[in-house]
Amino acid sequence: RFSRAALRDYARLLGAFIAAERQKGLAVEVGVELDIKVALSSLPELQGSEQDQPAVLVQLSSRSRASPKNSEDKILWSGCFCCVYGDDLSENMPEDFTCLPLFLANGAESYMSVVGNWFQKTFDCIFRRLAISPFSLTWMVAMWTGCKVDKATSAVELVFSVPRLPQPLDISYAIHPEDAKALWDTIQKTPGEITQEEVDVFMDCLYSHFHRHFKIHLSATKLVKVSTAIASAHCDGIVKMLHSQYLSGVLMLLTELAISQIQ
Amino acid sequence: MDETVAEYIRRTVLKIPRDEIKMMLQKWDFLSEAQLQTVNFHQIKDNISQEVVQLCEENSADIKQAAVLDIIYNHIYQNKRMWSVYQMKKTGEELEYFDLTDFKKKFKRRLRSALKNVTITFREYEDNAIWIRVAWGTPYRQPNQYKPSYVVYHSQTPYVFISASVLKSNLPLLCQALIVASNYHEIREMELRSHSLNSLKDIVFKRYSQNFPTYCPKPLQGKTVEPESVDLRIIHENKSEKERIQRVNQEVFGNGPQPILQFAQYKLETMFKSSPEMDVLDKKEPFRCLVKFSSPHLLESLKSLAPAGMADAPLSPLLTCITQKARNYFRIREKKGLFPDSFVSP
Repeated sequence: RFSRAALRDYARLLGAFIAAERQKGLAVEVGVELDIKVALSSLPELQGSEQDQPAVLVQLSSRSRASPKNSEDKILWSGCFCCVYGDDLSENMPEDFTCLPLFLANGAESYMSVVGNWFQKTFDCIFRRLAISPFSLTWMVAMWTGCKVDKATSAVELVFSVPRLPQPLDISYAIHPEDAKALWDTIQKTPGEITQEEVDVFMDCLYSHFHRHFKIHLSATKLVKVSTAIASAHCDGIVKMLHSQYLSGVLMLLTELAISQIQ
Repeated sequence: MDETVAEYIRRTVLKIPRDEIKMMLQKWDFLSEAQLQTVNFHQIKDNISQEVVQLCEENSADIKQAAVLDIIYNHIYQNKRMWSVYQMKKTGEELEYFDLTDFKKKFKRRLRSALKNVTITFREYEDNAIWIRVAWGTPYRQPNQYKPSYVVYHSQTPYVFISASVLKSNLPLLCQALIVASNYHEIREMELRSHSLNSLKDIVFKRYSQNFPTYCPKPLQGKTVEPESVDLRIIHENKSEKERIQRVNQEVFGNGPQPILQFAQYKLETMFKSSPEMDVLDKKEPFRCLVKFSSPHLLESLKSLAPAGMADAPLSPLLTCITQKARNYFRIREKKGLFPDSFVSP
């Protein structure tokens, strides 16, 4: 049973686990002699509604044995369990059950797998990459294109992949952010609300503009990545948050996706 | 032997796949066959290169000779580099006799008059290709041998293929030296880039198979063959449409292998148009887009889109004109006037 009071103990246990794995030769970093320190902490700032439980941050840091005593620790890997506006899920959970369906990881995949293993062994949980479907990606690009950004510096980009051809093809379709937003603004009827129909119209407009020029049906290809000034998301679950103002919105979307994949 | 030369030779040898080191050293022809016999080419590359450097030391190799080995490597592994195409223009129509010695002399003189520290190496190949390697320095620094530029010039043509090094500031000087040496008046960069040098040559020398709109090939043996015991109740959907697509594809792409390009880029500055019932954007300004297609073999990939059902046949001329127009970078603007649906590419 996960208990926030025991965070320090968990950190110690995880640290020991990592050290043991490294001894076994499941090396996470070759060469340099590193002491890996584990820290677990609660992040009360990272939650959406009152029902959400505060996030839990896991950090792996290192100090090379060669460097002087009082030098800064280098953060090797960070992971964060969180739940942002996950009301649907938390409503159905027993009182003392910790439910943080979204996990954000930053750093080498090898650390992720060691940390993930320990959590899965110790608690009742499973880690799985969040696959983001083309359908979800179209919602993201529509939503994020409509966000007001002071100085739109990055294009609204959609990346399509056509893997099953004799020679694979990737298509990057980038639209000037002002023009993309102008298009979306004429489609969205109610500010603050987005309907499926509006997303479909937006995508159809982009597809037909493309078809007019190239005679290619983008709708027959696979949308694998979308990118805007707010954030970018790839179908393999790799997400970049680019605008702090909209962080909460992005996390809410991801939480919703995570929950839908549990059910 | 200078230790920078030794190090450069060591690193160049290390780049070569082990099975090919001996062959390249033989092509280099700097070490004698007897010397090469003393090297164990089956040991690890680190040791092979050390032994080679030792032998080069015996022969007092200098940077000029080391540069030749580098050209040989890059000629064989030319597809590792990205090549851009440049076209030179003369005002007159005179067909001048090309004098290789004169070309080299003028080229070196032009470069050296601007930059004292350059390493210039030439190597000619059987297909009339002149390979030039230039390592760039500054008035105060020796040339950086690790970031040279490569130029391939076929003297019977006005085309030059350049693999620009990272030091792009030297490009204007390089271009100038080329036109001075080859007796042309101007040079411009074409919007055509690829890793495949041969494909670029195919495109600009028009060596790819041309389209034959009136050529009706017989169906090839083994292609979409109906087996004898086919159940006649099973019919191919859209059989005639599939055949039409094949035919149109062939007309548009030609019969032979396509030149190998890795990408095509389109800067679109056309108007956004939607069907009238969609109550959407109707601006008077262009809908600005940047579209990039990438593939290990772009043209083959595009050719397969219509048969796969992902595109109409014929494919848009914007895509099918790549080879014929010898470009893979485009800027597309709306054509004003009578035909609002057609595009202009400047």
